[in-house]
Amino acid sequence: MSEMRDRREFLVKAGIGAGVVGLAAQAVASLRSLVPNVSYDAPTTVRLGPPDEFPDGLKFLPDQRLFVFREGRTFHAISAVCTHLGCTVRAEALSNVQTTGSGSGELRLTHRFLCPCHGSEYKGDGSNVSGPAPKPLAWYRLSFAPDDGQLIVDLAAEVDNDFRLTLG
Amino acid sequence: MRLTLRPRKAEPDAPGVHPEALWSLQPRSDREAGDAVTSNFMFHAFPAKVSKASMAWSYSFWLGTISAALFFLLILSGLPLLFLYVPSVERAYQSVKDIEFVITFGSWIRAVHRIGAHLMVIAVFLHLVRVFLTGAYKNGAGRGQRREWNWVLGVAMLLLTLFLSFTGYLLPWDQLAFWAVTVGTNIASSVPAIGPTIRELLIGGRTIEQATLIRFYVLHVVILPLGLGVIFAYHMWRVRKDGGLARAEHDALAEQPRETPVVATKTYTLLGVARGQAPVIHARSLEAPGTTVNAVPDLVRRAAIATLGTIALVGIMSVFIASPLEEPANALVTPNPAKAPWYFLWLQEIVTDTTIRIGSFTLNGAFVGGVLLPGLLITLLTAWPWLDRSPAMAAGVWLPRIRARQNVVFLLVVLGILVLTFIGMALRGPYWNFYWPWEAWPDIPARI
Repeated sequence: MSEMRDRREFLVKAGIGAGVVGLAAQAVASLRSLVPNVSYDAPTTVRLGPPDEFPDGLKFLPDQRLFVFREGRTFHAISAVCTHLGCTVRAEALSNVQTTGSGSGELRLTHRFLCPCHGSEYKGDGSNVSGPAPKPLAWYRLSFAPDDGQLIVDLAAEVDNDFRLTLG
Repeated sequence: MRLTLRPRKAEPDAPGVHPEALWSLQPRSDREAGDAVTSNFMFHAFPAKVSKASMAWSYSFWLGTISAALFFLLILSGLPLLFLYVPSVERAYQSVKDIEFVITFGSWIRAVHRIGAHLMVIAVFLHLVRVFLTGAYKNGAGRGQRREWNWVLGVAMLLLTLFLSFTGYLLPWDQLAFWAVTVGTNIASSVPAIGPTIRELLIGGRTIEQATLIRFYVLHVVILPLGLGVIFAYHMWRVRKDGGLARAEHDALAEQPRETPVVATKTYTLLGVARGQAPVIHARSLEAPGTTVNAVPDLVRRAAIATLGTIALVGIMSVFIASPLEEPANALVTPNPAKAPWYFLWLQEIVTDTTIRIGSFTLNGAFVGGVLLPGLLITLLTAWPWLDRSPAMAAGVWLPRIRARQNVVFLLVVLGILVLTFIGMALRGPYWNFYWPWEAWPDIPARI
């Protein structure tokens, strides 16, 4: 009799266990399938065109969400992605140009950047001055393509704000 | 109120056996009223008797019924949209544009769906406010009541309603949609350590693309409505288990319970299983005699008025209020100002104002205002029935003095949310700058 009950209990537990394992496996598989294995991102190294196409001052590249600045023979690039919640900031030309930094890091601040989503404000060198933005806009590495001399930005390589690329 | 009774064509052969169609809508005796609840599929969720107090229009404003009616209407108006909308980034916008301008009655159906959704956010929120102010999450004298858990389910349903709205308004894949997903998922991304992974899961990759749209689409049309439907069913089941609609049985809570005579409280035909057998349950009711009415037809009539009134209101409003459609989604240009829909503006306002700087250490407002503060608010709201120490007699009445302090605090929080919403709606202009309503916004070029 007790053997019988043991067997029944065992079979009931085995049945419940099998059900739980089956459902759990299905659930894990379903949820795991939603975690992407491959991300088809846009390339982070982008050819932006020959340097001649960049006038003195600022050029906005919407596809890369990037501001490229040119001062004579030197270039630098600042991200247009707000560090608060990722909206695209807009550049506003300043009426009186200021200068910041010294030596190789000297920079003419011709613009300021404003975010339309939550009102963050950045100076022309990307540093955050007011609003909710927690940190400055990113600066990205620029280089010239060895083959055709085009300007190249590396959106995976952040650099300090004394970075300059000089046309040789 | 009693309707004048039409003479029946034929008398029932036996209890529970009624030859006439629609007899259950107009029961002519307590026995028929009790029968109706078990015989009519539509009424099977109702109790046999309902207390008059909980039926009063001015007590509950029937906000729960109105919320349910809106949910029902949203499912109904969503069905034709399912046939017409194409969840692909190339075609979503065009298909919504077709619904709006090409398809016969398309703009009305879309308006019903949209206005229904807006009203549902309002109705569910007001329902929660009503339950809080009347302390209706407090238990009465009956055993096994778990009203506090029904409050928790209610909070969950409010969140689901908001998430349904969020997933719904990004389906047109217009500018509002694109930037709402950008900001919304970046808020998720601001959580330390696990944030970026959560964002990747939400949008199905690292950029907002087709994978994002299909995820939010499936959430909107399958997972969230299903979840809301299941929780709603359980919510209603709990209402019955907890012994009544809208408020605890009040008379039973009085210090010296009145001895009520034994009365026939329910008349069942054993769920229609045993036809012709009609056991009458004799019991002491928790409610004083004369304080209850039969659910059929009294409760049914009012529920029908609330439901039909809601449907009529939405239908008429939808004729006059057109649904906006912004420009197609453009990852290259953020609109200026980029405003969330009105029910999220208070959050947009909070994430704007809560970036904290202590020395060189900065805490992003996205995390403080988008995750911490709302999380704290929801936790407090969920736990409130256990924090509320007021006596059970304070339940079921509006603004009792003994709960004055917590009601004032609650109303202040509600007022704060409303003020922030108003600021976001009326006082924010380009670059999220502050403008008075009578001030003109400066001209700002569409692009830099």
